[in-house]
Amino acid sequence: MPLIPRRLRPLLLGPLLTLMAACGGGPSDDAAPGARDVTAEMQEYYRTKVSIPAAVFESFERGEITQSEIDERTKQGEFPLFFRQASPEDIPAGLQWEDGSGLPEFAAPEAVKGGTLYSFIDDFPRTLRLLGPDSNGSFRPYLLDDNAMRFAQRHPNDTSVGPSGHRYYPGIAAAWALDPENSRIFARIDPEARWSDGEPITVDDVFFMFFMYQSPYVKAPWYNNFYTRNYTHVTRYDDRTFAVGIPEWKPDALARLLELEPVPAHFYRELGPDFPERYQWRFQPTSGAYVVLDEDIKKGRSIALTRNKDWWARDRKFWRNRFNYDRVHLSVIRDPAKAFEAFKKGELDAFALTLPELWYDKLPDTDPLVQGGYVAKKVFYNQIPRPTWGLWINQARPLLDNRDIRVGIQYATNWDRVIREYFRGDYTRMRTTADGYGEFTEPTLEPRGYSIDKALDAFARAGFETRGADGILVNAAGQRLSFTLTSGYSNLQDVLTILREEAARAGLEFRIEVLDSTAAWKKVQEKQHDIQFTAFAVSPEMYPRYWETYHSVNAFDQAFLADGSPNPARRAKPNTNNLQSIAIPELDKMIEAYHASTDVEEMKRLAFAMERILYEDASFSPGFVMPFYRIGHWRWLRWPEGFNVKLSRLSGQYGLGWIDQNIKKEVVEARKSGKTFPPKVEVYDQYRDE
Amino acid sequence: MRLNPLTVRKLRRFRALKRGYYSFWLLVGLTALSLLAELLVNDRAIAVRYDGEWSFPTYAAVKLGAEFGLEGPAARSPVNYRELRARFREEGAGNLVIMPPVPFGPYENNAYDGILRATPPDAGRGHYLGTDSTGRDILARLFYGFRTAILFAAAFTALTYLIGISLGCMMGYFGGLFDLLLQRVIEIWSNIPFLYMVIIVFSVIPGTYSTAARIGILLAIMVLFSWTFMTYYMRTETYREKARDYAAAARVLGAGSARIIFRHILPNTISTVVTFIPFTVIAAITYITALDFLGWGLPPPTPSIGELLKQGTANLTTAPWIVSSAFAALVFILTVVTFIGESIREAFDPRKFTVYQ
Repeated sequence: MPLIPRRLRPLLLGPLLTLMAACGGGPSDDAAPGARDVTAEMQEYYRTKVSIPAAVFESFERGEITQSEIDERTKQGEFPLFFRQASPEDIPAGLQWEDGSGLPEFAAPEAVKGGTLYSFIDDFPRTLRLLGPDSNGSFRPYLLDDNAMRFAQRHPNDTSVGPSGHRYYPGIAAAWALDPENSRIFARIDPEARWSDGEPITVDDVFFMFFMYQSPYVKAPWYNNFYTRNYTHVTRYDDRTFAVGIPEWKPDALARLLELEPVPAHFYRELGPDFPERYQWRFQPTSGAYVVLDEDIKKGRSIALTRNKDWWARDRKFWRNRFNYDRVHLSVIRDPAKAFEAFKKGELDAFALTLPELWYDKLPDTDPLVQGGYVAKKVFYNQIPRPTWGLWINQARPLLDNRDIRVGIQYATNWDRVIREYFRGDYTRMRTTADGYGEFTEPTLEPRGYSIDKALDAFARAGFETRGADGILVNAAGQRLSFTLTSGYSNLQDVLTILREEAARAGLEFRIEVLDSTAAWKKVQEKQHDIQFTAFAVSPEMYPRYWETYHSVNAFDQAFLADGSPNPARRAKPNTNNLQSIAIPELDKMIEAYHASTDVEEMKRLAFAMERILYEDASFSPGFVMPFYRIGHWRWLRWPEGFNVKLSRLSGQYGLGWIDQNIKKEVVEARKSGKTFPPKVEVYDQYRDE
Repeated sequence: MRLNPLTVRKLRRFRALKRGYYSFWLLVGLTALSLLAELLVNDRAIAVRYDGEWSFPTYAAVKLGAEFGLEGPAARSPVNYRELRARFREEGAGNLVIMPPVPFGPYENNAYDGILRATPPDAGRGHYLGTDSTGRDILARLFYGFRTAILFAAAFTALTYLIGISLGCMMGYFGGLFDLLLQRVIEIWSNIPFLYMVIIVFSVIPGTYSTAARIGILLAIMVLFSWTFMTYYMRTETYREKARDYAAAARVLGAGSARIIFRHILPNTISTVVTFIPFTVIAAITYITALDFLGWGLPPPTPSIGELLKQGTANLTTAPWIVSSAFAALVFILTVVTFIGESIREAFDPRKFTVYQ
């Protein structure tokens, strides 16, 4: 995800099912360079693009006004320009410029550069593009999310909230300043900031970023929408200084600018309708430490990242001692079991062991590799917003519109057993719909535990009092208490079968439907599901989102009539994140107040109140939280003291590890001679929630 | 029933081929046993005596704990008969629970030491083949999986034969344009990749369908794409037979097409039909196992050999008993069927009864 993912996406866990994955290049692989030039079009766009106010947008979406009316009003000059030019004298004098330089560093000073890290990906990337069709795959983090620099990055250990929001350390921007009165944020680009091809990073690249992301050429509707609706203007003061405007001020306004990544304008000169094909296999020059060389793209087999030795930020504070491997070699291994065997043979340097089965059974502490000290095992407790694993109950479906039945389902769902016996007590129960947001997470709610009695009582209130011959409850009309439980996660199928058996004891039937991930996601997006087992990936934001998931406009086309009563003819609204079809006027009001609020305390109060309403509504059965990640790695991989940073979700995310060549030599020889080392099984719980 | 003396001789010959003959009865016996699986491998008791009253829960409606004097949440949920047996023994009040020889159902998750994981075979606990990765009894899952597979194979064979024989005979008998056109249709039809069709169809079937309905759909798809092979053989056989004098004689006597095909020609092609049966059965079992292995077969948690094989290969080093049980069972079934097929082929070999001059 490029920035803060405003539209949450389904969490991709494990290998994506990729049938018939064609990885070959298309015929336009070798499109003649220079065949197109977008410059003139771009300049015209900079001159004429206007910023349409949100209210106008919304009435257009509701069909109250037409595109031609908007065009007409634009022509009359009603709307302000999006791209603006100003001079350095126009920068307000009273701005408080910050540069985050006082924050502590988090990389290990003793880290050494060098060596090759061998790792794997489960499928060859379908493209090297960073956006557009097929780009949101498992390889993109290596190019973008965990590699490219942003204007500034959130400090991964200091997660406190200060007067201007979260703590940021400088990246491409050397300094920044807030102007809440005018809803804008200023930034000054570091004069030394360079793309990997040597070109300087300037405000041109910021303008171009907006031009490209708003362009229909990139075939990325999410980008089009996000970069049009969430920004009101961008102003150039000089080649390195600019400001962006946002529609409403929020406590985390800083993130709106600082987490942007500029786009190299010179590289995308040929932007046009054929963008997806033309740029399919071209590596975009990056602001980050690693580049992909053409000779390292072995389609279908492997791809490698090479460290840019002239990277402009290599000796900067916060960036030095990171990104230490000279090369990261990624082989394509489609079967995780095979990849694990390759790791045990030493062909891969590290392997994620978060699953209990891997940690306890496949690589137990008693394994000769661990006992001999060749392979180290590590548990790291992190603190990040938690993916929302649980049952999403669609209350627009028959029977599920009855709250008693939903409450019954909550009591009949035995997460405790899944966590205790299947996840071996390692995971914890999710409590609310938004765990892991620190102060913004409701501190007191407890989810409903498994109770046959309470479930049966709740079902009885809904008219399901007698058991049929198969033990499933039936009501007076002869309806069975049976729902389809859909999921796209075949690797978590066992969780569903356990829930099914336990629910049957309480007279509830779950019919399990495991689809491939795309089909399952399509099903919820069309709101065709009864109950879905899924999770949303969430990024480390300051506060949880409620509008996307719980506002009635995302549940139905017209949820309520003018008098406020539910509209009997309402239809489910597809392609939104309101998977529960929740439409509660009281909740809507709170969400709107939360959205409009600029006060942290008020937002917290609203968030807690909304959590209470959602608890009472009982259409999300909170599942489990993985409070840590675990890896196994060969002894020669080294890490900072304390292993990793609080906000990391994977060990390699912040580029903190390095290879010790001497140890590698020693271990390889020791393996031959049978010499052993003291075993290393380490738990890092300095960031553990209690 | 009066059988054709030739057929009687063939059957007698089949009986003389011991390996195939015993295999045949072994398979019939196993199938019959699997039909009684609920009495042999089940978490429900065969019989319970409580307060002097006998009840037989196997095929009855689910009983709640209250019926046997249980209290608390157990009173309102279905009875766990193994726990009930332990309780009755402890109480020593003359109450009795008789469990099946394998006292586990195919769906139950049994946690030992508080963890759901694969446990090795342990006769003491009653898990004769161990448990799978979520603590379900492997023998129970194999047995119920075998029943599904063998019944599926029988239905598959019957249906493909019904369609294949009818159309094949008609093509051979009527010939001409009908034969020409249908033959082209079959050529096109048989080139549609069957596995992809299963995957496509299954990806759009709503999960609201019951397991039985889904098995039915799987069967329908497989039959739909498998009947063609039988038409080739029946068509050529019928072509040959219809040119013979007896077919002409029947026609002269005024017999209709259906009568000639099914009463006169078909019995004379019986050796072709019979010889293919075991191979069709093998193909059906292999298909359904392969589909389950790939995850495109029966919906979870339906027990099946393919699903066990899949689990087994994923846990090859940590739980070898899963893959070895499933593999041994599959090899055993397929070998038995192959033995039968081989003997049938030999018994029905026309060369035994034909004198070439």
